[in-house]
Amino acid sequence: MTETNVADKPKTQFKVKDYKSDTKPIWCPGCGDFGVLASLYQALAKLNLPSHEVAIISGIGCSSRLPGYVATYGFNAVHGRILPIATGVKMASPEITVIGTGGDGDGFSIGMGHVPHAARRNVDMTYIVMDNEIYGLTKGQLSPTAHVGDVTKTSAYGSIERPVEPVDLMINVGASFVARANAGDPKQMADLIVQAIQHKGFAFIDALSPCRTFRGIEQKKFINANTFKVEDHDHDPSDKRKALDIADSQEGISTGLLYVEERPPYDELYKDLRDRATQKPVPEIQDILQRYIP
Amino acid sequence: MAKMLIKGNEAIVKGALLAGCEAYFGYPITPASEIAEAASVYFPEVGGTFLQAESEVGAINMVYGAAGAGQRVMTASSSPGISLKQEGVSYIAGSELPAVIVDIMRGGPGLGNIAPEQSDYNQVVKGGGHGNYKTIALAPNSAQEMCDLTMLAFELADKYRNPVYVVADGFIGQMMEPVEFPKPNRNIPEKPWAVKGTAETSDNLISSIELDPDDLEEHNRKMQRKYQEMRESEVRYQAYHCDDAEIILIGFGIVSRVIQSAVDELRAQGVKVGMLRPITLFPFPSDVIRQYTDQVSKFWVMELNNGQMVDDVRLAVENRVPVKFHGRMGGNVVGTDEIIEKVLEEESA
Ligand SMILES: Cc1ncc(C[n+]2csc(CCOP(=O)(O)OP(=O)(O)O)c2C)c(N)n1
Ligand code: SF4
Ligand SMILES: [Mg+2]
Repeated sequence: MTETNVADKPKTQFKVKDYKSDTKPIWCPGCGDFGVLASLYQALAKLNLPSHEVAIISGIGCSSRLPGYVATYGFNAVHGRILPIATGVKMASPEITVIGTGGDGDGFSIGMGHVPHAARRNVDMTYIVMDNEIYGLTKGQLSPTAHVGDVTKTSAYGSIERPVEPVDLMINVGASFVARANAGDPKQMADLIVQAIQHKGFAFIDALSPCRTFRGIEQKKFINANTFKVEDHDHDPSDKRKALDIADSQEGISTGLLYVEERPPYDELYKDLRDRATQKPVPEIQDILQRYIP
Repeated sequence: MAKMLIKGNEAIVKGALLAGCEAYFGYPITPASEIAEAASVYFPEVGGTFLQAESEVGAINMVYGAAGAGQRVMTASSSPGISLKQEGVSYIAGSELPAVIVDIMRGGPGLGNIAPEQSDYNQVVKGGGHGNYKTIALAPNSAQEMCDLTMLAFELADKYRNPVYVVADGFIGQMMEPVEFPKPNRNIPEKPWAVKGTAETSDNLISSIELDPDDLEEHNRKMQRKYQEMRESEVRYQAYHCDDAEIILIGFGIVSRVIQSAVDELRAQGVKVGMLRPITLFPFPSDVIRQYTDQVSKFWVMELNNGQMVDDVRLAVENRVPVKFHGRMGGNVVGTDEIIEKVLEEESA
């Protein structure tokens, strides 16, 4: 450490370019994931987070390539296991800002078993699902967020499955921050990512991120034509019933901050627990080894 | 019927339909996805079930359920997905249920890549999951065999009430070749043990639980007898120019195709080589290999992995002659010239 007084030093203001890695995205032209990435750069710059204080955890999928494009810590992890891996990182390093980024299949199919648990524990992290209602990386199979009737490579006769509704689901399983945003509206997306990162607890963003290759231009057009902002509807995000109502609005797809609740995050609760359990003075390891629990 | 040019992966599905498979449960993964995609088209057409599960864990447990209900049922995946299925496979084996599992192997460990490897040999042939179980493992080396051996897999699964793997490297899955479809063989045996929803079977219980140590030991001994019977009756292999061979090259899957060309070229140069290709990886053709130890000066084992099958060859050879290994990994496939070079290098050394 140098002798300079930190307070006297002008604080570095990070710019978007500081968060860009040397790897260029290889998403298809027109992929919605570009919008999410651009918004994430914006949000990190706005929060002025040093890149070594951020870890981005992904699963496997087109969307899960994202950590490679950001100059922060990254994990290109296991298909469907973003949330347990992120939980592990957060518990090991509570001071780090943990962001999970992945696809709809990764999160709501193979990874679904982990979703309620990370949410109800209120793990302090931001979880962004780039929801394109398709399996992009594996070239166009049925996703759990696809709609009834959708024809994909594994639903040749049209899907007969009722889709997972990510926003309803997250509100119901205990996420303390639930938002939906259009990847084609980078300002809204960046604002919500900022709020999600600032939120203490499990913050979920359903990022409507069209897949140009396997859903065509129609998906993007549909999203742009049918989304509306909850701010324009004078929505109260602390009211759970209203949040669920507007999540399922007949007027179109609601975007913005739909639900928020203040609740202590898991690492804080755990810190309390540890403080209670830790004996003073801390016993020697030898003493512990000689004990047994009948 | 005329031959049809199709991918190995599609041949699997056609073979399954010819064998009267009634249900497919799977989760997409490259390079096995064409199996799910073809199944999603054909299974409903013939009145069968196709369901894209939420994960490989979901898929194998759906297979467990349908197998217990007496259906001919299958799933397919690739290496990381097979790792996930292993718990379920152990339960299916413990419950003595027939099921077919296809593994189109890719590069590992971890996510690795989607290029062909044969690095699941150990996890497929040696049991993979927990407990004292074995699975028959059939290793096709052509699109034709993808069809034929899938059909055989259903037959053997029913015969032994045991899971059977069809295990192929990504090459064999992706390669397009002409296939002549055999006649359908839907000889599904009676399954009096199945949970069928009939009054007579209402007491049937599908389970892998044996709480009493003696009972569990007896159950295991019974299964070991079954595996012994497989060893005695189900060994399959191909011997190519082995009769007068002084060196025998051993490989399965795509490697055997390359070895075969190398054998032809080496023979043309006057080197007496032959190829032995295990078609069943379990039961392994150990006795056959051992017989050749009196005749050959050495064996070469070539695999697309770090040397997995070579262990079984060495056990069979019992140190009577040297066993050399050459492997490629990461999606690199051995070439004919590479094999010839290896063999000649050794001989001139
Ligand atoms: C255990 C396992 N099963 C399957 C796969 C193959 N796989 C990779 S990504 C993916 C789904 C991709 O869809 P999604 O999560 O929606 O991401 P997208 O590509 O659409 O962004 C699948 C099935 C895998 N990598 N691991
Ligand atoms: S396949 Fe779809 S999701 Fe994947 S990069 Fe291309 S457009 Fe994006
Ligand atoms: Mg997707």
